[in-house]
Amino acid sequence: MQSLYVEGNSRMHRLSPRAKLLSLTAFAILLFISHNLLLLSGAVLVAAVLYGTVGLPIGEALLRLRPIFLTIAVVALFNLIFNPWQAALVPVLRLTALMLLAASVTATTTITEFIDEVTALARPLERTGRVQADDIGLALGLVLRFVPEIVNRYQAIREAHKARGLKVRPTSLLAPLIILTLKDADNVAAAIDARRIRRHGS
Amino acid sequence: MSTRDLVLTALFAAIIVALGLLPPISLGFIPVPITAQSLGVMMAGVVLGARRGAIAVLIVLLLVAIGLPVLSGGRGGLAIFASPTAGFLVGWIFGAFVTGYLSERLVNHGQSGLVQTVSFFLAAMIGGIVVLYAFGITYLATVAGLGFTKAFVGSMAFIPGDVIKAVVAALLGRAVMVGYPLLPARA
Repeated sequence: MQSLYVEGNSRMHRLSPRAKLLSLTAFAILLFISHNLLLLSGAVLVAAVLYGTVGLPIGEALLRLRPIFLTIAVVALFNLIFNPWQAALVPVLRLTALMLLAASVTATTTITEFIDEVTALARPLERTGRVQADDIGLALGLVLRFVPEIVNRYQAIREAHKARGLKVRPTSLLAPLIILTLKDADNVAAAIDARRIRRHGS
Repeated sequence: MSTRDLVLTALFAAIIVALGLLPPISLGFIPVPITAQSLGVMMAGVVLGARRGAIAVLIVLLLVAIGLPVLSGGRGGLAIFASPTAGFLVGWIFGAFVTGYLSERLVNHGQSGLVQTVSFFLAAMIGGIVVLYAFGITYLATVAGLGFTKAFVGSMAFIPGDVIKAVVAALLGRAVMVGYPLLPARA
Protein backbone atom coordinates (compact mmCIF):
# COMPACT_ATOMS: atom_id res chain seq x y z
CA MET A 1 0.00 0.00 0.00
CA GLN A 2 1.49 3.30 -1.15
CA SER A 3 1.21 6.15 1.33
CA LEU A 4 0.08 9.57 0.09
CA TYR A 5 3.34 11.10 1.33
CA VAL A 6 5.40 12.93 -1.29
CA GLU A 7 9.20 13.03 -1.00
CA GLY A 8 10.50 16.55 -0.82
CA ASN A 9 12.11 19.29 1.18
CA SER A 10 9.59 22.11 1.02
CA ARG A 11 8.86 24.41 3.94
CA MET A 12 5.84 22.23 4.79
CA HIS A 13 8.07 19.14 4.85
CA ARG A 14 10.40 20.72 7.36
CA LEU A 15 7.65 21.87 9.71
CA SER A 16 7.07 19.56 12.67
CA PRO A 17 4.02 17.30 12.36
CA ARG A 18 2.59 18.72 15.57
CA ALA A 19 2.81 22.29 14.26
CA LYS A 20 1.11 21.22 11.05
CA LEU A 21 -1.75 19.46 12.80
CA LEU A 22 -2.28 22.31 15.24
CA SER A 23 -2.35 24.90 12.45
CA LEU A 24 -4.75 22.72 10.49
CA THR A 25 -7.09 22.68 13.48
CA ALA A 26 -6.78 26.43 14.00
CA PHE A 27 -7.34 27.04 10.28
CA ALA A 28 -10.46 24.86 10.34
CA ILE A 29 -11.91 26.75 13.31
CA LEU A 30 -11.26 30.11 11.66
CA LEU A 31 -12.84 28.93 8.42
CA PHE A 32 -15.98 27.83 10.17
CA ILE A 33 -16.35 31.09 12.09
CA SER A 34 -16.03 33.30 9.03
CA HIS A 35 -18.84 34.05 6.60
CA ASN A 36 -16.94 36.64 4.63
CA LEU A 37 -16.69 35.57 0.99
CA LEU A 38 -13.58 37.65 0.35
CA LEU A 39 -11.76 36.20 3.35
CA LEU A 40 -12.78 32.65 2.46
CA SER A 41 -11.66 33.08 -1.17
CA GLY A 42 -8.34 34.36 0.15
CA ALA A 43 -8.05 31.24 2.31
CA VAL A 44 -8.67 29.01 -0.73
CA LEU A 45 -5.99 30.87 -2.64
CA VAL A 46 -3.44 30.59 0.16
CA ALA A 47 -4.19 26.89 0.67
CA ALA A 48 -3.97 26.24 -3.08
CA VAL A 49 -0.58 27.95 -3.33
CA LEU A 50 0.63 25.95 -0.33
CA TYR A 51 -0.62 22.69 -1.86
CA GLY A 52 1.18 23.70 -5.04
CA THR A 53 4.51 23.89 -3.25
CA VAL A 54 4.53 20.36 -1.82
CA GLY A 55 6.07 18.95 -4.99
CA LEU A 56 3.26 16.99 -6.61
CA PRO A 57 2.92 17.15 -10.40
CA ILE A 58 -0.22 19.14 -11.10
CA GLY A 59 -2.18 16.28 -12.70
CA GLU A 60 -1.54 13.95 -9.79
CA ALA A 61 -2.30 16.74 -7.31
CA LEU A 62 -5.74 17.30 -8.86
CA LEU A 63 -6.45 13.60 -9.31
CA ARG A 64 -5.98 13.00 -5.60
CA LEU A 65 -8.62 15.52 -4.64
CA ARG A 66 -11.12 14.77 -7.37
CA PRO A 67 -13.44 12.46 -5.37
CA ILE A 68 -13.61 14.89 -2.45
CA PHE A 69 -14.13 17.86 -4.71
CA LEU A 70 -16.92 16.00 -6.48
CA THR A 71 -18.80 15.53 -3.20
CA ILE A 72 -18.31 19.21 -2.39
CA ALA A 73 -19.59 20.14 -5.85
CA VAL A 74 -22.65 17.88 -5.62
CA VAL A 75 -23.63 19.33 -2.26
CA ALA A 76 -23.02 22.85 -3.57
CA LEU A 77 -25.28 22.19 -6.54
CA PHE A 78 -27.98 20.87 -4.25
CA ASN A 79 -27.50 23.93 -2.08
CA LEU A 80 -27.75 26.30 -5.02
CA ILE A 81 -31.20 25.01 -5.89
CA PHE A 82 -32.60 26.08 -2.53
CA ASN A 83 -30.41 28.95 -1.32
CA PRO A 84 -29.11 32.23 -2.77
CA TRP A 85 -25.71 31.83 -4.40
CA GLN A 86 -23.84 33.70 -1.66
CA ALA A 87 -25.08 31.25 0.95
CA ALA A 88 -24.23 28.31 -1.28
CA LEU A 89 -20.73 29.59 -1.96
CA VAL A 90 -19.68 29.86 1.71
CA PRO A 91 -19.52 26.13 2.46
CA VAL A 92 -17.85 25.42 -0.91
CA LEU A 93 -15.01 27.86 -0.21
CA ARG A 94 -14.69 26.69 3.37
CA LEU A 95 -14.47 23.02 2.53
CA THR A 96 -12.22 23.57 -0.49
CA ALA A 97 -9.72 25.58 1.57
CA LEU A 98 -9.78 22.97 4.31
CA MET A 99 -9.40 20.14 1.80
CA LEU A 100 -6.35 21.77 0.18
CA LEU A 101 -4.64 22.46 3.48
CA ALA A 102 -5.38 18.96 4.81
CA ALA A 103 -4.02 17.46 1.60
CA SER A 104 -0.83 19.51 2.00
CA VAL A 105 -0.35 18.14 5.53
CA THR A 106 -0.93 14.59 4.30
CA ALA A 107 1.52 15.00 1.41
CA THR A 108 4.31 16.35 3.59
CA THR A 109 4.09 14.10 6.65
CA THR A 110 5.40 10.54 6.68
CA ILE A 111 3.43 7.64 8.16
CA THR A 112 6.10 7.25 10.86
CA GLU A 113 5.81 10.89 11.86
CA PHE A 114 2.05 10.56 12.08
CA ILE A 115 2.20 7.39 14.17
CA ASP A 116 4.72 9.00 16.55
CA GLU A 117 2.41 11.99 16.89
CA VAL A 118 -0.68 9.87 17.54
CA THR A 119 1.26 7.80 20.09
CA ALA A 120 2.44 10.96 21.85
CA LEU A 121 -1.14 12.25 21.93
CA ALA A 122 -2.40 9.00 23.44
CA ARG A 123 0.34 8.89 26.08
CA PRO A 124 -1.59 10.93 28.69
CA LEU A 125 -4.55 8.55 28.27
CA GLU A 126 -2.42 5.72 29.65
CA ARG A 127 -3.15 7.02 33.13
CA THR A 128 -6.79 6.01 32.70
CA GLY A 129 -5.54 2.43 32.40
CA ARG A 130 -7.64 1.79 29.29
CA VAL A 131 -5.18 2.67 26.54
CA GLN A 132 -1.59 1.69 25.91
CA ALA A 133 -0.13 4.27 23.55
CA ASP A 134 2.32 1.80 22.01
CA ASP A 135 -0.53 -0.52 21.06
CA ILE A 136 -1.65 2.02 18.45
CA GLY A 137 1.49 1.59 16.35
CA LEU A 138 1.30 -2.18 16.81
CA ALA A 139 -2.33 -2.28 15.65
CA LEU A 140 -1.63 -0.12 12.59
CA GLY A 141 1.35 -2.30 11.71
CA LEU A 142 -0.78 -5.44 11.99
CA VAL A 143 -3.39 -4.01 9.64
CA LEU A 144 -0.83 -3.15 6.97
CA ARG A 145 0.76 -6.58 7.35
CA PHE A 146 -2.53 -8.43 6.92
CA VAL A 147 -4.31 -6.54 4.14
CA PRO A 148 -2.44 -8.28 1.28
CA GLU A 149 -2.92 -11.62 3.03
CA ILE A 150 -6.68 -11.10 3.19
CA VAL A 151 -6.89 -10.06 -0.46
CA ASN A 152 -5.00 -13.24 -1.46
CA ARG A 153 -7.25 -15.34 0.73
CA TYR A 154 -10.34 -13.79 -0.85
CA GLN A 155 -9.06 -14.68 -4.29
CA ALA A 156 -8.30 -18.24 -3.19
CA ILE A 157 -11.81 -18.70 -1.78
CA ARG A 158 -13.28 -17.22 -4.94
CA GLU A 159 -11.34 -19.63 -7.12
CA ALA A 160 -12.33 -22.57 -4.93
CA HIS A 161 -15.96 -21.57 -5.41
CA LYS A 162 -15.55 -21.35 -9.16
CA ALA A 163 -13.71 -24.67 -9.36
CA ARG A 164 -16.62 -26.37 -7.65
CA GLY A 165 -19.15 -24.58 -9.83
CA LEU A 166 -20.60 -22.64 -6.89
CA LYS A 167 -22.16 -19.25 -7.37
CA VAL A 168 -20.04 -16.42 -6.02
CA ARG A 169 -22.27 -14.79 -3.42
CA PRO A 170 -21.26 -12.20 -0.83
CA THR A 171 -22.31 -14.33 2.13
CA SER A 172 -20.71 -17.54 0.91
CA LEU A 173 -17.46 -15.69 0.17
CA LEU A 174 -17.25 -13.35 3.13
CA ALA A 175 -18.16 -15.83 5.87
CA PRO A 176 -15.16 -18.14 5.27
CA LEU A 177 -12.95 -15.11 4.68
CA ILE A 178 -13.84 -13.63 8.06
CA ILE A 179 -13.72 -16.92 9.95
CA LEU A 180 -10.34 -17.91 8.48
CA THR A 181 -8.89 -14.47 9.17
CA LEU A 182 -10.13 -14.26 12.75
CA LYS A 183 -8.85 -17.77 13.46
CA ASP A 184 -5.36 -16.39 12.77
CA ALA A 185 -5.81 -13.98 15.66
CA ASP A 186 -4.98 -16.56 18.31
CA ASN A 187 -1.71 -17.50 16.65
CA VAL A 188 -0.71 -13.91 16.07
CA ALA A 189 -1.59 -12.98 19.65
CA ALA A 190 0.43 -15.93 20.97
CA ALA A 191 3.40 -14.88 18.83
CA ILE A 192 3.19 -11.29 20.09
CA ASP A 193 3.09 -12.40 23.71
CA ALA A 194 5.86 -14.98 23.23
CA ARG A 195 8.16 -12.27 21.90
CA ARG A 196 7.08 -9.84 24.63
CA ILE A 197 6.36 -7.17 22.05
CA ARG A 198 3.87 -5.47 24.33
CA ARG A 199 5.58 -4.25 27.45
CA HIS A 200 2.41 -4.52 29.47
CA GLY A 201 1.38 -8.00 28.41
CA SER A 202 -2.24 -9.11 28.41
CA MET B 1 -7.22 -4.79 26.25
CA SER B 2 -5.90 -8.32 25.86
CA THR B 3 -3.42 -9.08 23.10
CA ARG B 4 -6.04 -11.29 21.47
CA ASP B 5 -8.58 -8.44 21.38
CA LEU B 6 -5.94 -6.11 19.99
CA VAL B 7 -5.14 -8.57 17.20
CA LEU B 8 -8.82 -9.30 16.51
CA THR B 9 -9.61 -5.61 16.06
CA ALA B 10 -6.54 -5.07 13.86
CA LEU B 11 -7.40 -8.08 11.69
CA PHE B 12 -10.96 -6.87 11.31
CA ALA B 13 -9.73 -3.42 10.38
CA ALA B 14 -7.59 -5.16 7.75
CA ILE B 15 -10.72 -6.94 6.47
CA ILE B 16 -12.52 -3.59 6.12
CA VAL B 17 -9.54 -2.14 4.24
CA ALA B 18 -9.32 -5.22 2.00
CA LEU B 19 -13.04 -4.92 1.21
CA GLY B 20 -12.30 -1.51 -0.27
CA LEU B 21 -9.68 -2.99 -2.58
CA LEU B 22 -11.87 -5.78 -3.91
CA PRO B 23 -14.03 -5.22 -6.94
CA PRO B 24 -17.61 -4.55 -5.79
CA ILE B 25 -19.64 -7.72 -5.39
CA SER B 26 -22.77 -7.65 -7.51
CA LEU B 27 -25.77 -9.22 -5.86
CA GLY B 28 -27.28 -10.57 -9.05
CA PHE B 29 -30.93 -9.94 -8.33
CA ILE B 30 -30.57 -6.17 -8.04
CA PRO B 31 -28.32 -3.85 -10.01
CA VAL B 32 -26.76 -2.30 -6.87
CA PRO B 33 -23.19 -3.43 -6.40
CA ILE B 34 -22.23 -3.88 -2.77
CA THR B 35 -19.43 -1.47 -2.01
CA ALA B 36 -18.28 -3.41 0.90
CA GLN B 37 -16.77 -0.92 3.30
CA SER B 38 -19.97 0.30 4.93
CA LEU B 39 -20.99 -3.35 5.04
CA GLY B 40 -17.71 -3.88 6.88
CA VAL B 41 -18.84 -1.45 9.56
CA MET B 42 -22.03 -3.42 10.23
CA MET B 43 -20.02 -6.66 10.14
CA ALA B 44 -17.55 -5.31 12.71
CA GLY B 45 -20.48 -4.83 15.08
CA VAL B 46 -22.20 -8.17 14.52
CA VAL B 47 -18.96 -10.18 14.59
CA LEU B 48 -16.86 -8.44 17.24
CA GLY B 49 -19.45 -6.73 19.44
CA ALA B 50 -19.61 -3.13 20.62
CA ARG B 51 -16.17 -2.25 21.97
CA ARG B 52 -13.97 -4.28 19.66
CA GLY B 53 -16.14 -3.43 16.64
CA ALA B 54 -15.89 0.30 17.28
CA ILE B 55 -12.12 0.08 17.81
CA ALA B 56 -11.69 -1.83 14.53
CA VAL B 57 -13.46 1.01 12.69
CA LEU B 58 -11.46 3.60 14.61
CA ILE B 59 -8.25 1.94 13.41
CA VAL B 60 -9.43 2.22 9.79
CA LEU B 61 -10.17 5.93 10.24
CA LEU B 62 -6.77 6.42 11.86
CA LEU B 63 -5.18 4.87 8.77
CA VAL B 64 -7.15 7.30 6.61
CA ALA B 65 -6.03 10.25 8.73
CA ILE B 66 -2.34 9.37 8.57
CA GLY B 67 -2.40 9.35 4.78
CA LEU B 68 -2.96 5.81 3.61
CA PRO B 69 -5.40 5.32 0.73
CA VAL B 70 -7.48 2.71 2.55
CA LEU B 71 -10.99 3.83 1.63
CA SER B 72 -12.68 2.40 -1.46
CA GLY B 73 -11.46 3.99 -4.67
CA GLY B 74 -8.04 4.59 -3.13
CA ARG B 75 -9.20 7.56 -1.09
CA GLY B 76 -7.30 8.62 2.01
CA GLY B 77 -5.54 11.43 3.75
CA LEU B 78 -6.76 14.18 6.04
CA ALA B 79 -8.53 15.89 3.14
CA ILE B 80 -11.25 13.20 3.31
CA PHE B 81 -12.38 14.73 6.59
CA ALA B 82 -12.99 18.05 4.81
CA SER B 83 -15.65 16.48 2.63
CA PRO B 84 -19.31 17.32 3.40
CA THR B 85 -19.96 13.60 3.90
CA ALA B 86 -17.30 13.23 6.61
CA GLY B 87 -20.07 12.91 9.20
CA PHE B 88 -20.82 9.48 7.83
CA LEU B 89 -17.22 8.42 8.38
CA VAL B 90 -17.24 9.53 11.99
CA GLY B 91 -20.67 7.94 12.33
CA TRP B 92 -19.08 4.60 11.35
CA ILE B 93 -17.51 4.36 14.81
CA PHE B 94 -20.81 4.88 16.61
CA GLY B 95 -22.68 2.76 14.08
CA ALA B 96 -20.37 -0.18 14.72
CA PHE B 97 -20.65 0.36 18.47
CA VAL B 98 -24.46 0.40 18.54
CA THR B 99 -24.69 -2.55 16.13
CA GLY B 100 -22.34 -4.47 18.40
CA TYR B 101 -24.11 -3.44 21.59
CA LEU B 102 -27.50 -4.55 20.26
CA SER B 103 -26.02 -7.78 18.90
CA GLU B 104 -24.57 -8.58 22.33
CA ARG B 105 -27.94 -7.91 23.95
CA LEU B 106 -30.26 -9.53 21.44
CA VAL B 107 -28.39 -12.61 20.28
CA ASN B 108 -27.45 -15.68 22.27
CA HIS B 109 -26.54 -19.24 21.47
CA GLY B 110 -29.79 -20.78 22.69
CA GLN B 111 -31.86 -19.10 19.98
CA SER B 112 -32.88 -20.62 16.69
CA GLY B 113 -30.99 -19.57 13.56
CA LEU B 114 -33.88 -17.47 12.35
CA VAL B 115 -34.17 -15.51 15.59
CA GLN B 116 -30.41 -14.89 15.57
CA THR B 117 -30.46 -13.69 11.97
CA VAL B 118 -33.43 -11.38 12.54
CA SER B 119 -31.83 -9.97 15.70
CA PHE B 120 -28.57 -9.32 13.87
CA PHE B 121 -30.58 -7.64 11.11
CA LEU B 122 -32.28 -5.32 13.61
CA ALA B 123 -28.94 -4.49 15.23
CA ALA B 124 -27.38 -3.70 11.84
CA MET B 125 -30.38 -1.59 10.80
CA ILE B 126 -30.39 0.51 13.97
CA GLY B 127 -26.62 0.85 14.31
CA GLY B 128 -25.58 0.84 10.67
CA ILE B 129 -28.43 2.95 9.35
CA VAL B 130 -30.27 4.96 12.05
CA VAL B 131 -27.19 5.90 14.09
CA LEU B 132 -24.91 6.28 11.07
CA TYR B 133 -27.32 8.55 9.23
CA ALA B 134 -27.99 10.60 12.37
CA PHE B 135 -24.32 11.56 12.36
CA GLY B 136 -24.00 11.86 8.59
CA ILE B 137 -27.10 13.97 8.07
CA THR B 138 -26.42 16.26 11.04
CA TYR B 139 -22.94 17.03 9.74
CA LEU B 140 -24.15 17.46 6.16
CA ALA B 141 -26.94 19.79 7.29
CA THR B 142 -24.64 21.95 9.41
CA VAL B 143 -21.43 22.08 7.43
CA ALA B 144 -22.88 22.28 3.93
CA GLY B 145 -25.54 24.75 5.03
CA LEU B 146 -28.25 22.52 3.62
CA GLY B 147 -30.59 22.33 6.58
CA PHE B 148 -31.95 19.09 8.00
CA THR B 149 -34.85 18.41 5.68
CA LYS B 150 -32.81 18.73 2.52
CA ALA B 151 -29.88 16.77 3.89
CA PHE B 152 -32.32 14.09 4.98
CA VAL B 153 -34.06 13.86 1.62
CA GLY B 154 -30.74 13.82 -0.23
CA SER B 155 -29.45 10.94 1.86
CA MET B 156 -32.52 8.76 1.43
CA ALA B 157 -31.31 7.61 -1.98
CA PHE B 158 -28.74 5.42 -0.27
CA ILE B 159 -31.10 3.72 2.18
CA PRO B 160 -32.22 0.81 -0.06
CA GLY B 161 -28.62 -0.27 -0.64
CA ASP B 162 -27.94 -0.05 3.08
CA VAL B 163 -30.94 -2.19 3.95
CA ILE B 164 -29.53 -4.87 1.65
CA LYS B 165 -26.18 -4.53 3.39
CA ALA B 166 -27.92 -5.03 6.73
CA VAL B 167 -29.40 -8.28 5.39
CA VAL B 168 -25.97 -9.46 4.23
CA ALA B 169 -24.42 -8.43 7.56
CA ALA B 170 -27.11 -10.37 9.45
CA LEU B 171 -26.51 -13.52 7.41
CA LEU B 172 -22.77 -13.14 7.96
CA GLY B 173 -23.19 -12.49 11.66
CA ARG B 174 -25.14 -15.72 11.95
CA ALA B 175 -22.63 -17.66 9.82
CA VAL B 176 -19.67 -16.46 11.88
CA MET B 177 -21.58 -17.16 15.10
CA VAL B 178 -21.93 -20.78 13.99
CA GLY B 179 -18.40 -21.10 12.64
CA TYR B 180 -16.31 -19.07 15.07
CA PRO B 181 -18.30 -17.33 17.79
CA LEU B 182 -16.72 -14.26 19.39
CA LEU B 183 -19.75 -12.38 20.64
CA PRO B 184 -20.50 -13.85 24.05
CA ALA B 185 -16.94 -12.97 25.09
CA ARG B 186 -18.48 -9.94 26.79
CA ALA B 187 -18.55 -11.69 30.16
